[in-house]
Amino acid sequence: MRAWKVVLLLNLALVLGVSWGYLWWGRQARTLQRDLAAARVAAATTGEREYHVTGVVRAGLEDLGLLVVTHGEIPGYMPAMTMGFRTASPKIVESVKVGDAVRFTLRGTPPNLAITAIEKTAP
Amino acid sequence: MESVTGLLARWLHLVSSILVVGGAATLLLAGPSDRPTARRWEAWILRGCWTFVLVALASALIAVAAQAALLEGRAGAALEPAALARFLLQTQGGTVWLVRGGLLILLAAFLAVRLEVRDRTDWRAARGEVALLGLLALGLIAGASHAAAVEPGTAAAIAADVLHLAAAGVWVGGLAPLALLLHLASREAGADARPYAVLAARRFSRAALAVVLVLIASGSWNTWLQVGSVSALLGTPHGRLLVGKLAVFAAMLVLAVTNRRLIPRLSRAAEIGRPAMQRLGRLVIGEAALALVVMGLVAVMSVTPPARHAEPTWPLSFRYSLDNLVAAPDLKSQVLVGSQVAVLGLVAVVASWLLPWLRLAVAAVGVAVVVAGLAVAVPPLVSDAYPTTFQRPATPYHASSIADGRAIFTQRCAVCHGERGAGDGPAAASLNPRPPDLRAHHVALHTAGDIFWWITRGKPPMPAFGETLGADARWNVVNYVRALSAADAARLLGPTVQPDKAWLVAPDFNFAVGPTPPRALKDYRGRKIVLLVLYTLPASRPRLVQLAENQGLLGTLDVEIIAVPTDAAPDAIRRLGADPPLFFPVVTDGAREIVDTYRMFSPAPHAEFLIDRQGYLRAIAAASDDATRDPNLLVAEVQQLNTEKTPPPPPAEHVH
Repeated sequence: MRAWKVVLLLNLALVLGVSWGYLWWGRQARTLQRDLAAARVAAATTGEREYHVTGVVRAGLEDLGLLVVTHGEIPGYMPAMTMGFRTASPKIVESVKVGDAVRFTLRGTPPNLAITAIEKTAP
Repeated sequence: MESVTGLLARWLHLVSSILVVGGAATLLLAGPSDRPTARRWEAWILRGCWTFVLVALASALIAVAAQAALLEGRAGAALEPAALARFLLQTQGGTVWLVRGGLLILLAAFLAVRLEVRDRTDWRAARGEVALLGLLALGLIAGASHAAAVEPGTAAAIAADVLHLAAAGVWVGGLAPLALLLHLASREAGADARPYAVLAARRFSRAALAVVLVLIASGSWNTWLQVGSVSALLGTPHGRLLVGKLAVFAAMLVLAVTNRRLIPRLSRAAEIGRPAMQRLGRLVIGEAALALVVMGLVAVMSVTPPARHAEPTWPLSFRYSLDNLVAAPDLKSQVLVGSQVAVLGLVAVVASWLLPWLRLAVAAVGVAVVVAGLAVAVPPLVSDAYPTTFQRPATPYHASSIADGRAIFTQRCAVCHGERGAGDGPAAASLNPRPPDLRAHHVALHTAGDIFWWITRGKPPMPAFGETLGADARWNVVNYVRALSAADAARLLGPTVQPDKAWLVAPDFNFAVGPTPPRALKDYRGRKIVLLVLYTLPASRPRLVQLAENQGLLGTLDVEIIAVPTDAAPDAIRRLGADPPLFFPVVTDGAREIVDTYRMFSPAPHAEFLIDRQGYLRAIAAASDDATRDPNLLVAEVQQLNTEKTPPPPPAEHVH
């Protein structure tokens, strides 16, 4: 075989090899990403979830059964923010005052979560 | 630190990779020939290429082992398959080595196969393939170099590095093959290849000119990316290695110019041509030897942290600073006139090349004018400098650092400098010279590193604190002094935003609301405008209620309100009460440092600081200003910030 043909074939093989490797790697990465996203969605939406959160009480709206809390990050659900949550019973709103540092339990199927228990962490 | 073995392996690898490229490129440039001596030369070059590919592979193995040992932190890891696999498969550097190793193996196999190349096309294809694979293997080094760590603009940095490596391969790698051809042809037995050698030298010389230009352009770009300043060039190990490399490179260029002048003499009569050929061969070998030194420096540079990311130690006792003109505007005209005279001289020097006569005289006059111009323009720009002049503070410009610096200042410095740095301490009167006003504008002309040096080494009659205070404590004092100066300058800020004028950096701070994790002012950078409210109850309550009522509107304008009680009470939220509810962050942890720092900028019991998205302080309003009574005025200022077309660049982490 002529030398230039050998070189051409070699380069062709090189280009094919590199692009196959690149595509395979890209597909692998995409598959992984899709799996990860699916797992995240599944983790966030299916079934009842329970989060334990710390925060500080900003307002209690007894008529609405809402407690407004400045809280830290809720991993896998919500970043740190000031947010109003529904409460499972009116007693929960009554049991705390504005400015109380608290630890509370959020339970439910996201986004339908409610505070089911609360305790003060500092006097 | 990289071991000596690892460094030697890197050097050997670089040299052999470059020689492979240079050999193939020189063959391609010279073209095919049927002269026996030329054929012999070609065979030698091909065998040399094959040998150097093997050397490159072997040295790559050693370099990889050394790097794995460095990564694992123990020498034994160099021989452990698991550690090697971790390095090769899980790091970008390792992957690059793997791919390059594959290319080199392919090249070794290609060189081992004997191909029939009597036809010109076949010859070009076969030799071109060696050059191509060699260039790929060499250029990919950029993927694991300092260039690959540049952000943003990684692709452009790698591209420039690939060009640099390829150009070095063609020029530097081609010197030895060319010298070999000149040597063979200059012998009695090699007379048949002399025309071929002359042709090859001429073609190489022409190509080398273009390649050297590429080398200089890509090298300058790399230098800007990796070094970026004179202080980094002269003050860091990486920068100083680069200076050494440039010096050797300059010597190579001088040799190259000499060699270029010799080339026309090669083609004269054989008797004259032969000594010229021998001489050229020797000079080219000299050039190649210098190149070995350059590559040694490159190998060391590749394992030294890039100058831009190292703290420079300034080697000179002076520096040049254009800021001097800001402090003394009357010197401006002197510098302007001097620089214009110097430019005029420069033009004369350049023009002298084009003149048919009096060339030397005009050039000499031009040089004299340049020197005279510089002698007028440069002296006003000279400032004193110290080893730490260009160092960045080890502690960021942060409220906690400023608070710590303030405590040290009060304890150790205030007795002379005064509580607020005005130079009015109780002991000041007895001193000669008197302590300066640290809040004065000229303090801002000194770098943070200058102040650090004076605190460390003293500045008579001020004693040295290098022995008694740790480095971080001294940097904290620097930050406090800078904050004093900034607070003095803050008097120029009013309750209204000055359009497109961002110059006063808001000191960063950490804060927490109740038991939530701490946040920092910096977290809002690039995202939100921050209204920092220092409030005192009960006077501030109406304003806080007003802000709470407008929080929704301000939120849509991208404003985050952070309220800080001036008494730094940990139960601040409870004290604000439940009616009406306030939902913006009220700082319960970290308030003391924020209040101490920001009260330097405005001592009022109720003060509001408007901080733009880039982290600059843009407006300061006190309780007495209308701006803290009418929410519409605040909205107007925020709108002003939101309509700014050219947001200023975010300030550096540290004061300068």
